[in-house]
Amino acid sequence: MTTDNIIEIHRVTKAFAKHTALDDVSLTIPRGSVYGLLGPNGAGKTTLIRIINRITAPDSGRVLFNGRDLQPEDVYRIGYLPEERGLYKKMKVGEQAIFFARLKGLSRHDAIVKLKAWFEKFGIESWWDRKVDELSKGMAQKVQFIVTVLHEPELLIFDEPFSGFDPINANLLKEEILGLRDRGATVIFSTHNMSSVEEICDHITLINNSHNILTGRVDEIRRQYGERKMITVEEVSSMNDIFIKAVKGELSHGKH
Amino acid sequence: MASINLIIAREFNERVRKKSFIVTTILIPILMVALMLAPALIMRYAHGDTRLIEVIDQSGLIAPSLENNSEIVFEPTSATLDEARRSTAENETFGVLVIGEDVLTNPNNVTLYANGPSSVSIEEAIKSQVSGIIEKEKLKAYHIDNLQQILAEVETHVSLQVFRVDDGRDKQAASSAIATTVGIVLAMVLYMFLLMYGAMVMQSVIEEKNNRVLEVIVSSVSPFRLMLGKILGIALVAIFQILIWAVLIVVIGGVVIPHLFTPDMMGGMEGMEAMQAMQSGAMGGIDATAIQALSVMTDIGYITQILVYLILYVMGGYLLYSAMFAAVGSAVDSVQDAQQLQTPITIPIILSIFVMLLVTKDPNAPLVFWCSMIPFTSPVVMMARIPNGIPMWEPVVSLVILYASFLVMVWLAAKIFRVGIFMYGKKTTFKELWKWMRYKY
Repeated sequence: MTTDNIIEIHRVTKAFAKHTALDDVSLTIPRGSVYGLLGPNGAGKTTLIRIINRITAPDSGRVLFNGRDLQPEDVYRIGYLPEERGLYKKMKVGEQAIFFARLKGLSRHDAIVKLKAWFEKFGIESWWDRKVDELSKGMAQKVQFIVTVLHEPELLIFDEPFSGFDPINANLLKEEILGLRDRGATVIFSTHNMSSVEEICDHITLINNSHNILTGRVDEIRRQYGERKMITVEEVSSMNDIFIKAVKGELSHGKH
Repeated sequence: MASINLIIAREFNERVRKKSFIVTTILIPILMVALMLAPALIMRYAHGDTRLIEVIDQSGLIAPSLENNSEIVFEPTSATLDEARRSTAENETFGVLVIGEDVLTNPNNVTLYANGPSSVSIEEAIKSQVSGIIEKEKLKAYHIDNLQQILAEVETHVSLQVFRVDDGRDKQAASSAIATTVGIVLAMVLYMFLLMYGAMVMQSVIEEKNNRVLEVIVSSVSPFRLMLGKILGIALVAIFQILIWAVLIVVIGGVVIPHLFTPDMMGGMEGMEAMQAMQSGAMGGIDATAIQALSVMTDIGYITQILVYLILYVMGGYLLYSAMFAAVGSAVDSVQDAQQLQTPITIPIILSIFVMLLVTKDPNAPLVFWCSMIPFTSPVVMMARIPNGIPMWEPVVSLVILYASFLVMVWLAAKIFRVGIFMYGKKTTFKELWKWMRYKY
C-alpha cells in the first residue's frame, strides 16, 4: 500500500521521569516535502526525531512509515544527521565513511563506489586517507553530510544542519538538500533558525511545551496569521514573528 | 545481526592498530620475562663482594674445617688479636673471627670483630658452619667407626607428598604449595583481565560520547547491540593480545634463557641433581615437590579441567564487569568523572584479591566459600580454590549464578546505557542511574 504521507504520527506521548517530552502529538509528513520541525529548545523536537529513528519508543501512540507501523529495517531507509554529531577522531575519513554506510545496510563495494562519487562532487578526494582530527570542523561536517545521505534514504532528517558551516558551505548544503528532495526524498528539517525555514520548507510543525501548536503549509500559515500584520506593518511578516507569537500564545488569525 | 558484527569489527580493528596497543603488547612480555629472570640474575650478578675474614682459632679444631664460598673467605692466622685487628683495618678486609680455646664445651666463646657493618647472612653463615663443625667434633668423641659414611647416609631432607581421598579413590592431588601457586597465578590473571579490559570498554564508550558519534550510530544500531558489540569487540582484542603475549613469552623465554645461563652452568646443575638422584635412589635426594610439579604439569586431564574453568570464569567475569563498566562509561563525560561511579565496580574486584589470599590458609573457609559463589567475587576467588580440589558442584553452581547475573547485569546496564549516552554536561549521581534504570523505553 502506498500513501502520500511518508510519516504519520498518531497521538504520540512520551514521558520521562519528571517531564513529558511529547504530549498527544499528531502530524503527517507528505512525501516529497521539506518539512520544518520548529520549536524552542526543550520543546520535544529531538525526542520526536528519536522516535522516528527508533532510538526511543513512544509510551503510547503510533508511528506509521509509508502507511504501516515503523519496522526495525526502516532505519535503513532513513538518513539522520543529529544535532549532537561527530565522527571518530582517530579513524581515517574513507574507512569511517564505509563503516557508517555499512551500518545503513550498504555493501562494502557499493559504499566505496558511492563515496568516491560524492567525494569527487565535493572536491575532497584527497581527504580519504586523512584522520578526522586533521580536518577542520566544517570539513568534518561535509563528511558527515555525505555519510547521512549516502545510502539514498527515502526520508532524511536534519537536526540543525547548518550549525558549524560557513555561509558558502551552508548554501552548498542547502542546494544539496533541495536536490535530494527533487530526486524524490522527503526531508525533515529541525531548527530554530527561521530564515532557513522560510527559504526551503514547504510544510512546518511548531512544537512548544510538548504540544503541536501549529501545523500546515508555510504559505497558508503566512497568509492565515501574517495578513493583518502585512497591512498594519509595512514589512512582510516573517516566520520568525509567527514563531515568537505562537510560542507566547499571542497568535491571532489575520482575517476575521 | 550484521550491524553488531560491524561494531565488533570496528572496535577490534581500531584498538589493535593503536600505538598504545602495539607498545603494551610488545613490552609486557619483555617485562614478564625480565621479572621471571630477575631473581636468577640478581643471584648471579649482584651478590656482595667476597669478604675476607681472618680466623684466630685458639682451639685448633674449627679453622681447618671452615669452608670458603663466594661470599666469605676464611683465612687462618697465627697473629694476636690486636695485630690481626690492626692489619685487617689497614687492608680493609672484613674482620677477625676469634674462636675460644674451650669452644667445644662453651659454644658461646666465638667472637666476630667487624671493621664495617656486618650482615645477618654473614653471621648466619658463620654460626651454622661453626655449629656444624662443633657437632661433628663432638660426635668424633664417641669413637664411632665409619663415622663419615654414617653421617652421609643419615642426612635426609623430607618432602611431603599429599594424597586426597576423592570418590573413594586415592588421587594424587597437587600439593598445597603447587595448588596455591597455580591458584594465585590464575586469580591474578583474572583480576588483570577484569580490570584492564573492563576499563577499556568504559574508555571506549566515553571516547564515542566525547566524539559525539553515538547518536549517529544508534540511529542505525540499537543501543543494546552497540553496547554488546563493544563488549564483544574488546573481548576479541583481549583474546588476541593474550595469544600474542603467550607466544612472545614462550619465544623470548626460549631465546633468552639459554643465553643467560651458560650451558656448562645449566649442565653442571642438572648433572649434579641427576647424580644425586641416582646415588640416593628413587625416594631420596630429589625433591618430591619437584616430581609432583612435573606430574601436575604433564597431567593433561588436570590442565584441561583448569583451563576450561579458567575460560568460563574469565568470560563470565569479563561479561559481568564490562557491562557495568559500559554503563558507567555511558553516564559520564570523561574518565575523571568516572572515578566516583567506578568505585562500586572496582571494590569487589579488589576485595576478591584479599579473599583470594585467604584461600591459601583454608580453601574451604566460610568466607572464601561464599565469596566464590557471589558473582562479583566468584571468578577470582573460585579460580584460586579450584586447583586445591573442591567438589564439582561448587564451581558449577557458582558458574550458573555468574552467568545468570551477567544476563541481569547486561539488561540493567543497557537501560542505563541508552539514557546515559544522550546525557551531556551534567555530573551523574547514583540516584540518577537508579532513575534511568526504571525508565520505560
